[in-house]
Amino acid sequence: MATGPDAHARLLPAAITLRATPRGRLWLIAALLALIFAGISIASPAFASPANIRDILVNISPVIIVACGMTILIISGEIDVSVGSLLGLLGALMGLCSSPTHANLPLAAVIAITLAAGAALGLLNGLLVVLGRVPSIITTLGAMTILRGATELLMAGSWITDLPASLRYLGTGTPLGIPVCLWAALIAVILSLLFLRATRPGLWTYAVGGNLHAAHLARVPTHTTRLLAFTLLGLLTGLAALVSIPQQSVIESGIGVGFELSVITAVVVGGASIRGGSGGILGTLLAAILLGSVRTGLIFINLGDSAVYWERAIQGAFILAAVLSDVLTRQDSARQTA
Amino acid sequence: MRPAPRTNSRVYECLLAALMSILLALAWWLDPDFVAPATQLALSNHIVELALVAIPMTLIIVTGGIDLSVGSTMALSSVVMGLAFDAGAPFPLVCISALLTGTLAGLLNGLFIARLSIHPLIVTLATLAAYRGLAEGLSKGRPFSGFPEGFLAIGSGDWLQVPILVWLLLLLLLLSALIIRRTTIGLWIYAAGGSQTAAHYSGVPVAQLRLALYTLAGAAAGLAAIFFAARFNTAKADVGAGLELSVITAVVLGGTSIFGGRGTLLGAMLGVAIIHEIGQLVSWKWDQQELVQVVTGSILVLAVLVHNIFSRRTH
Repeated sequence: MATGPDAHARLLPAAITLRATPRGRLWLIAALLALIFAGISIASPAFASPANIRDILVNISPVIIVACGMTILIISGEIDVSVGSLLGLLGALMGLCSSPTHANLPLAAVIAITLAAGAALGLLNGLLVVLGRVPSIITTLGAMTILRGATELLMAGSWITDLPASLRYLGTGTPLGIPVCLWAALIAVILSLLFLRATRPGLWTYAVGGNLHAAHLARVPTHTTRLLAFTLLGLLTGLAALVSIPQQSVIESGIGVGFELSVITAVVVGGASIRGGSGGILGTLLAAILLGSVRTGLIFINLGDSAVYWERAIQGAFILAAVLSDVLTRQDSARQTA
Repeated sequence: MRPAPRTNSRVYECLLAALMSILLALAWWLDPDFVAPATQLALSNHIVELALVAIPMTLIIVTGGIDLSVGSTMALSSVVMGLAFDAGAPFPLVCISALLTGTLAGLLNGLFIARLSIHPLIVTLATLAAYRGLAEGLSKGRPFSGFPEGFLAIGSGDWLQVPILVWLLLLLLLLSALIIRRTTIGLWIYAAGGSQTAAHYSGVPVAQLRLALYTLAGAAAGLAAIFFAARFNTAKADVGAGLELSVITAVVLGGTSIFGGRGTLLGAMLGVAIIHEIGQLVSWKWDQQELVQVVTGSILVLAVLVHNIFSRRTH
């Protein structure tokens, strides 16, 4: 893949380039977002109301939080399709730990356990990929089914309905007038933006995803970098579970089915390359908001209940459109590699 | 440009056959009824869709690709079949519509992957969602049934005490094996898996080959939808859920390298048999479908892990 003078330049640590989302992509998504808002608002003005915008952001916040981690992982050249199942398992775990009729642990312990379990399971995926050399799609496809099966075994067909008020606050509370999940999304976005732009491991992530071998020769700790990316994703999935699942009063075993797809769609539409080495948090953030607006918009334009049925088709079409637009813009440079 | 060394794969296939025997012995020890020929034959019908899709999946993985959309393609074909039947189309046309839907779905995957050289992982992940979404949107979750008697008779009928669908499968398997062993196409597949660039410069039509294989996977998924309708008298949007996991697990367990270049149909079929037996045994003995999921997922990861540990020196 890497040929020409560029390959040489990559051998030098100082020359590792940080390929963030291209400006063009950011403007394109922003334009699409404006178009959707303008179009749907004409049909029904309530769409652009502050209350509805807030609803859209609240609904999409778990996707934003996990997509930050997924962006870092995809930049490092790996992928994780198990985040939806992980969200479900962490939900069950959180419910079992906090419910007064089960473990009845204090809130601090529940938060610590959920975050630690998320990070540990993310790390486990990473260990299998990095040390076991099992491709990430295989590892996480396996993890996706194992974790979902484990959740169903753990819940044994019952629901957890007696969540304590302290936990529910994470889902329904509004400190300073803003829902907790939006605070969490804001923190996740700022921290991952800083991680990728201003830290050494962030730079390593681009290097590892751009060319693993070259990064290794340049003494980038490739193992640690990828393990860190998997662990961060698990940790952020834990955070998303904490602020999104207590929004409902019931925990069941089907939480997070198809969630991985929303997350990956946001990252790919946001401009990260699935081959690794390029992408950025801002693109992902804008793309996630775009997807959230489309989801809500469909309900506004009289598709009503049947909107649910078409949602996955639309997500798939979005990914295909995104990769297609990538191909069309790199047509001239990529011809000979085909 | 030669196929993978035969000796290696033979050893592995014997190992799988031994594993299969141990598994059956264990099953017999747990529950003698399970290994009775009648039970096995009654259960063997369930293996057909899995084995059918495993044929093109093996070839795709040998060329270094992957297809995650087979289960969704099967669902879309199933729904189109149901809609065509509801619209009152003549029955042969109903079956053709399912097959055609699958083929076109596979062709679309192939065009994205082979013509535009987009990574198969992201293309088929997108169509995994898109095809299932289309199936759900078109059917609104409604199941179709009431297929004609003659068609259902094919699904439940047998010849020489072996189900008709299994005969059909064996026929297709034989045909594929002949093409792989006796024609240049077989050589091309292994060459493309070794190194796509090298194969391309050696005159192997890599792009056309990949396009054909993904189209074939779609067609197989379409046929699987027809088989499913014949057996259960239903067509709906949730058929084939998780099929991709079982198929990929079976193929990888069957010795096909996930990195491409190595693998055999015989191995894949042994993989299918083992996955199938384990799944049946677990659900027969413990009656928990969730446990089957956990076991299948674990086998997938372990199979690749063990394979990597034993082939450490080659990397």
